This record gives sequence, structure tokens and C-alpha cells, in this order.
Amino acid sequence: MASLGSALLLATFVVCSYAAVVSVAGARRRSRRLVESGIGAFYLIAALMIAASAVMINAFLTNDYSIKYVVHYSDSVQPLFYKITSYWGGLDGSIMFWVFLLSIFGSIAVYVNRERHRELVPYVIATISVVQMFFLYLMIVHRNPFTTYLRAAPAEGDGLNPLLQNVYMAIHPPSLYTGFVGMTIPFAFGIAALVTGHLDDSWLRAVRRWTMFSWLFLSFGLTLGMIWAYEELGWGGYWAWDPVENAGLLPWFTATAFLHSVMVQERRSMLRVWNVTLVIVTFFLTIFGTFMTRSGVVQSVHAFGDDPVLAKLFTGFMILILVFSFSLVVWRLPLLKARNELDSWLSREAAFMVNNWILLFAALFVLFGTMFPTLSEAVTGERLTVAGAFFNKWMAPVGLVLLLLTGVGPLLAWRRSTIGNLVDSFLWPVAAGVAAWAVSLAFRIPLWPSGLCFALCGLVVGTVVQEFWRGARVRRKNTGTDLLTALVGLVGRNKRRYGGYIVHVGIVLIFFGFAGNAKKLDEQVLLHVGQEAKIGRYTIRNNGIKVSDDGQKQMTTAYLAVFVDGKEIDGLYPARWAYRRHEQEPTTEVAIRRTPAEDLYAVLGGFDLADQSATLQLVVNPLVNWIWVGFGVMALGTGIALLPERSFAFALAKMPAEAVTTTIAMLLLVLVAGARPASAQPGMGGSEDTRSSYYARTPFEKQMQHEIVCTCGACGHQTLAECRKDACSTSHQMRGELAAMIDQGKGHDEIIQAFLAKYGSEEMLGAPVDKGFNRMAWLFPYLIGATSAIAVAFIAVKWTRKSDAEAVAAAPLDATIAGRIDDELRDLD
Amino acid sequence: MSSAISTEKDRAAADRAGLEPWQFFLLAALGCATAVTFLARGEGPTAIILLSVLMGAAALVGYAALRAVRPLVLPDEERTMIVGQRTRAALEREKLLALRSIKELEFDRAMGRLSEEDFSEMSGRLRARAARLIKELDAGAGYREQIETDLAQRLGARAAEKHVAAPVCAACKTANDHDAKFCKSCGQPLGR
Repeated sequence: MASLGSALLLATFVVCSYAAVVSVAGARRRSRRLVESGIGAFYLIAALMIAASAVMINAFLTNDYSIKYVVHYSDSVQPLFYKITSYWGGLDGSIMFWVFLLSIFGSIAVYVNRERHRELVPYVIATISVVQMFFLYLMIVHRNPFTTYLRAAPAEGDGLNPLLQNVYMAIHPPSLYTGFVGMTIPFAFGIAALVTGHLDDSWLRAVRRWTMFSWLFLSFGLTLGMIWAYEELGWGGYWAWDPVENAGLLPWFTATAFLHSVMVQERRSMLRVWNVTLVIVTFFLTIFGTFMTRSGVVQSVHAFGDDPVLAKLFTGFMILILVFSFSLVVWRLPLLKARNELDSWLSREAAFMVNNWILLFAALFVLFGTMFPTLSEAVTGERLTVAGAFFNKWMAPVGLVLLLLTGVGPLLAWRRSTIGNLVDSFLWPVAAGVAAWAVSLAFRIPLWPSGLCFALCGLVVGTVVQEFWRGARVRRKNTGTDLLTALVGLVGRNKRRYGGYIVHVGIVLIFFGFAGNAKKLDEQVLLHVGQEAKIGRYTIRNNGIKVSDDGQKQMTTAYLAVFVDGKEIDGLYPARWAYRRHEQEPTTEVAIRRTPAEDLYAVLGGFDLADQSATLQLVVNPLVNWIWVGFGVMALGTGIALLPERSFAFALAKMPAEAVTTTIAMLLLVLVAGARPASAQPGMGGSEDTRSSYYARTPFEKQMQHEIVCTCGACGHQTLAECRKDACSTSHQMRGELAAMIDQGKGHDEIIQAFLAKYGSEEMLGAPVDKGFNRMAWLFPYLIGATSAIAVAFIAVKWTRKSDAEAVAAAPLDATIAGRIDDELRDLD
Repeated sequence: MSSAISTEKDRAAADRAGLEPWQFFLLAALGCATAVTFLARGEGPTAIILLSVLMGAAALVGYAALRAVRPLVLPDEERTMIVGQRTRAALEREKLLALRSIKELEFDRAMGRLSEEDFSEMSGRLRARAARLIKELDAGAGYREQIETDLAQRLGARAAEKHVAAPVCAACKTANDHDAKFCKSCGQPLGR
């Protein structure tokens, strides 16, 4: 079976090169035979990859331990579902899975567009085939998933990493991959348009859907990653600016920018160079993200190992992409020149430009922050850490400005807004924003950043509601129906616009959830049997610890009772699972009590079976569920925007019922999937030693624990307060040192100096010290911000100047044709 | 693998019989799946499903390979591809989009997002565009030349020698047949 798999991969490589060469030759010689054969070969790639994947899954399901990959990522006791997901559990398989997805998506894209964009298709095929060839080359020469043992094969596999044995983790990578891979399609169409010179808006229409689709899956993947981090890693939070998370976020920013700026090109035929550039950059960032996470360039919780060869190959490929695509852009610049004019800063297109600027700034900043440790190591030879606090400091204002634009943008008119219509359209949204702020004041929420966030959420919701309301009113007047029908018809007629507004509501809910962080409570306690601890309005009692075993793993569960106002309302069962063959890294099974207002979150940090005591991390996370709900709303909005043009009649009839059921189903799914506390069968036996865990005794110690990060390298630079794995002796030791220093009465700066002296580098500081080369880290964001702002302003001023020069002389139409246009317009609705 | 061999055989059979080849691949895949079911008796449903999937994938590979190779050996006459020319469907779609944009503009104006003069300027541009597309569609541009060249090819060198350009009406820009004396659209005499 293994040799069959290898042979299939080799054959795919050959077919890829054939498809690329034949398509380009066919397009240049205008030979239908060659082009058709290229299309056939392109489908053949997909067929071959399906066959290869079938071979791979077959190997996993039949426990074929002669294949190294199967041994590393599976064992015989693993459930069937995780055996299948092991396919993409490791590096080699994930590359193969990448090619598999790309071949399928590519085939669909070519099949759909082969008539509509005949002149583009050969080059699309060539581009995608070359990308596939790169990944196939990686597999064939360097990382063949079908590598076998030369001598006797082991009798049993190592098993999938227990952290990955989680439903979210099983679907998180494919979803993220779908997003990543999907971005190749717009790139291929962009390149094809550049090569053929068909640079009108038609290629954009071919890729808009694909970008939206990929964007949706990228968002879905990121959300799943957040849920996974929240539930499985036991951080107490959902986003830690880990390099792997950032890798997914980077193309998300640029894709979002593209989805917005595309509208400007459609409406005003501006920003054409910019749109091509965004497509290229987005694709580049997907490759870069893969490179970052797979080659060991950055340290992360789930970076997949050091691999210098892979790093070199990827670097070469990335340089090739950049040089090739941007030379094409430069070559086609004369064709991309558009009639650019910006009439006013108070216009929708100006808002879009600012939105693009902010999104790009965010992407560059995250890229920079993620790569800074590597850069600094290359320049100064000293590895340091850029942790969550540094990102949060910068990204909070960026996010808020984006949120503001979400509210303001739709209210501005194209070209220019007059004072009159500004007052008219801003009145209600601003009122809603002020009301939201007042409510947040009533809850004693500080203005920065959470209070402001609530106010902006109010503004955006006000905007969206007003847009729907006014749109429906206009439509009711035009069509003479009742308001509800008009509303549905409105969404059906302008799926993209109103789908987009629904996405905005989803974004608001997500920000609403983020803002809840202001009231987050975090406590660490050691509880003996019968002891109680208070957090927020909850009282937690330890009822004892039990151990059980299900053959695959040993489960230690703490039984906690939750009281509110003296009444027992619920039980929480946080656990630690030690998998066979992975005893060194027990997984934390978080127990969460979910309510719309807040989550009570308990992590079993350590335990002593002898006296049944448990060290617990207790967190109250307000509003956190709204993030997941927000994603559901976003998915709904994107789904509406993605509905095909023809589904209008169908949508008109069925939309409300469907939308309601989908939302309810999604909400239920999210809540039910999350609400199950760790199940545990009571049992006895087993023991484990515990260590005292240096939980913070004073606020000062707590602050210091949050400021210094663990250097063990396995936890993704969590702070000392967060890195509580049993296996992590580093953080334990560091906490001990910290506690000793505090006992000696040392102050903040003294302690930092002592740590710097002891560890010889700044790796354990959450953010680089502001001096020398590291000053770069603090200066750079200002630098990019300022440069790009100047660039945007410059372009805008340039465009403003030449606005009057080219007035369009709209030739008067002859009466018959004008009549026909009016007729068709009437029939169109 | 046995399935690969059997699909090869079927491909030969398909060419002889002159039937649609995919039917044979489907049949072959079904046959193989049946064989698998008998072979894998007692091995549990997973094995059966897996083997069937493998067979199906093999059949798919065979079919796609055929799809890649067949265009190469088809007779030359079938080259009807228009590279770089818009088909009629594309024109229709363009027109629809222009009309949609006009609708959207009207909607925006009704919402108070657009001043009257901007509206008239932008919609004027779009209307001009729609009118141009309608005219193009009427004249059947895009097809005309294609058919001419195809005809010329089929009639052989004789017709190709005296290649005649389609006369375009001076008044309404409609492309007419090369032997026409009057424009078919507006009736103006065609000056040759």
C-alpha cells in the first residue's frame, strides 16, 4: 500500500507538470486540443489525490504500522474518528491534505468557470499546478508521508497527540486549511488576468465568491482554534497571540481588506492595482503562515518542529511568488491605470481606504510582532519574547478604530456626503452608541477600552438596524408590499450588501465578547476536601477527587459544587487525563458552566489523592459565549452573501424560516457542544505526587507572575501565572525564585534585573526591554503606521487634484434603446 | 491492483463500442465494489467501505486520464475555441450587471445616499454602457467573425483566399453579411 501511495504522489507530480505546460502552450497557440487536455489533466490531479488520500486513510484504519507516519500519529485503541483525522495530524500528512484540497477546489473552480472565463482558465490551471508541484516536490524529496520502515515495523503506534484528540481540533485544521487553500484560487485568477491582460472587472467576479468562501472557513478555523484553546489548553482565555494563531490571522486581515476594496473597484473602478496586490499578498501570507508554523522559525505551542530544509525550500518558493507576481503587476501597470478620483474625504470610498489602511497595518504589525523574536535573534543573537500584552496594547486601538469604521462607513455616501445627509444618517446610530455607553457606565465599566468598545458596538448595531429599516421602507414604497416582505426582498435582492451587514452584527457580538474581558476574574486556590473558595458571586466547594480508567487514558476528576447565595446550583468536574504512551503530558479537561452573561471556568491544576486536595484555577469570563454566537451570525451573513444569484426566488420564499432554524441550530450546537462538563466514571486507585504550586499570595506577586513568561518553550510563552502544567518544571522553578525574591523584599525593577542577570537574555520578559535593537519593536509599529498613513494621504491628494480633468461626456442615448433599458430595468426586480 | 487492470480493459471496450466512456467506468467501479464485498466477507463494514472507496478512486483516475488524453487524438476540426473573445453569454451577463448597478443606484438615491447630480452622472454612464452592450448583442458581434473563420476553414483554402471583411454600417455600426446591399438594422444603403 505504501509503495502505491508513493507512486500516486509521483504520478500526480508528473501530471501537474504536464497540465501546467500543456495549458500554457495551448493558450499561446490557441489550440483547443491542448487546452482541453490540460483541463482533463487538471481533473486527473484531483482524481489521483483522492486515490492517494484513500490509500492513506486505508493505512490508518487498517493499522498499517509499516508506514512511519501511521506509527507516529495513530495507535490501535484510538477511536475511528480520530484515526481518520490523524491524516492531517502531522506535517507530512497535512502537506498532502493541502494538495488534496487544492486539487479539489481547483477542479471545481475550473469546472465552474471554464465557459465563462475561457481565456483565463489555462493560466489558472498552470498557476495552481505550479503551486501543487511545489508541495508535491516537498513530499517526494523531503517529507513523504508514505515512508516505510526499512526493517521490522513496530507492533503498535505512538498515538495522536492527546491535545489533538478533541472534536474542535479534529475539524479546526481542515477548516483553516480550506481557508488557506481557497485563497490560492483568487491568486490563480489574478495571475491569469495579469498574464492575459484581461484586467477588467470580470476576473474579480470570478474570485469574489471564492474569497468569501475561503474567508468564511478561515474565520471558522480561527474560531474553532479559539474554542479549542479555551477548552483544551486551559489557559482561561481564548487568544494568546501565539505565532500559529497569528499565522491564520494574517491572511484573514488582507482577505477582509480585499473583500471591502473590491467594492470600490466595482463601484468607482478605483484601486485596481491595489486589489491585485491584495490578492497576491493574501496568497503569499497563506504560504508564509504555513512556512512559519511548519519550519520551526518561530517558537509556539503548536509549531510543528524544526526543519531547516523545509525552511529553505519554502523561502525559495516565497521569493519566487513575490518576484514573479509583482513583475507581472509592474508589467501590466499601464493596463491597470484607472480613472481615479476622490471627491471628498467624507465619502464611502475614503472610508474604505482608511479601512484598508488599518487592516493592512494590523497585518503588518502582527507579522512584525510574530517575527520579531526571530529577527532579533538574527541581529543581536539574543532570543526574546513578544507576548500577548504587547499585541493587546496595539491591537485594542486598532480593533476599536475598525469597529468605528464598521459603524461609520455604511452611513457615508459614495463620492461625497453633505452635512444634511450626515446629520440625517448619523443621528440614530450615534444615539444608540451613547445609550450603550450609558449602560456600560451603569455597570461601572472603565471607558478605556471596554466602555468605548460597548459604545461602538451600539453605534454599529444602530447603523445596521437603520440601514435595514430605511432600505425596507424604500422597498415597500417601490413594490407596495408589507414591511416584512419588503425586508426579505431587500436582503434577497442585495444579498452581498445585507449579508455583509449581518456579518457586521456578528463582528459586533464578537467585540462585545472581547469587551467582557474587562470584568474577568482569575483566582488560584488550593482546596482541601470540604473547603470553599469564593470567586465573584460564586462559591466553590471541593467534594473530593476520583480516578478512573477507560483503557486509553487515566482520568483524574475533581468533584466541585457551585453555590450562589448559599444555594447549590451546579457541579463542576474539571479533570486531568493521562493518555497511555503520553503520560508525561496529561491534558487538562476544563469544566465550564456556561451562561449568556458569564462562564465559570475551572481548571484542575494539581491534586493530592492522599488528602483529596486540589489546586484549582478558577476564572469568571463574562460574555465569552457571545464570541461564538457572533461567529454563528457571521457565518449566516456570509452564507446569505454567498447564495447564488438564481436562488433569489427560492430565498424570497424560504429565507425567514431557514434563517431562524439555522441560527437556532447553530446556537444550540455551540452551546450544547461546549456545555458538556467533563464526564467521569467514579473509580478508585492510582496516585500522583503533588507539589505546592507557588500560587500568588499578594497582588504584587500576581502582577509579577503575569509579567514574566515561562521559558520552557512548550507552553508558547505563557506567563508564570498561566503555565501550570505538571510537566513544566521550568515555570515551577521560576515561580519559586520569584517567591523567594519577593520574600526578600525586592522591588519590581530589582526582580527584573535579577532575572535578566540569571537567564542572560530577555526571553522571559513578556515584552522586549526598550533599548538598543529592541527599541525597534516599540518604534516599528509607529513607523509602519506613519508611513502607510502618508502613502494613503498622498494617493488621496493626487486623486483629488485630477478629478475635474476627465469629465465624462455621456452621449445622449437614442430613444428606442433608452426605452428598452427602461423596460428591462422594470422586469429585472 | 486488479481494479486498475479491469478499468484499462473497460476503456478499450468503451472505445470499440462507441458508447459514453463514463458509463463503463461506473459499471467497472460497481463491479469491482461487488467483487470487494465478496472478497472482504467477514472483515467488517469498514474494510468493505474502504476497498470500495479505493476502487471508486481508481475508476475516477482512469476516467480523468481518459479525459486528459482524448482531446489530443480528436480530429482537428473541433477547434472552436475563441481565445480572447467574449461569448454571447458573457455579454448578456455584463448587460445584466450594468442594469443591476443602475437599480442599485436608484435604490441608493431613494435611501438618500446619493445626490441628484451624482446619480444622473453615474447612471448616465451605466446606461451608456448598457446601451453599448445591447447594441453589441443585437449585432451579434463576437459570433460573426468566429463563424466566418470556421466556415473559411471548413470550405478549405479556396474560400480562405478571398477573405471578405463583414461590411459595417456607417450609420449604426451593425455588422452585415458581406453580400448585403442595405443594412439589416437601419436600412441605410451600405457604401462599399
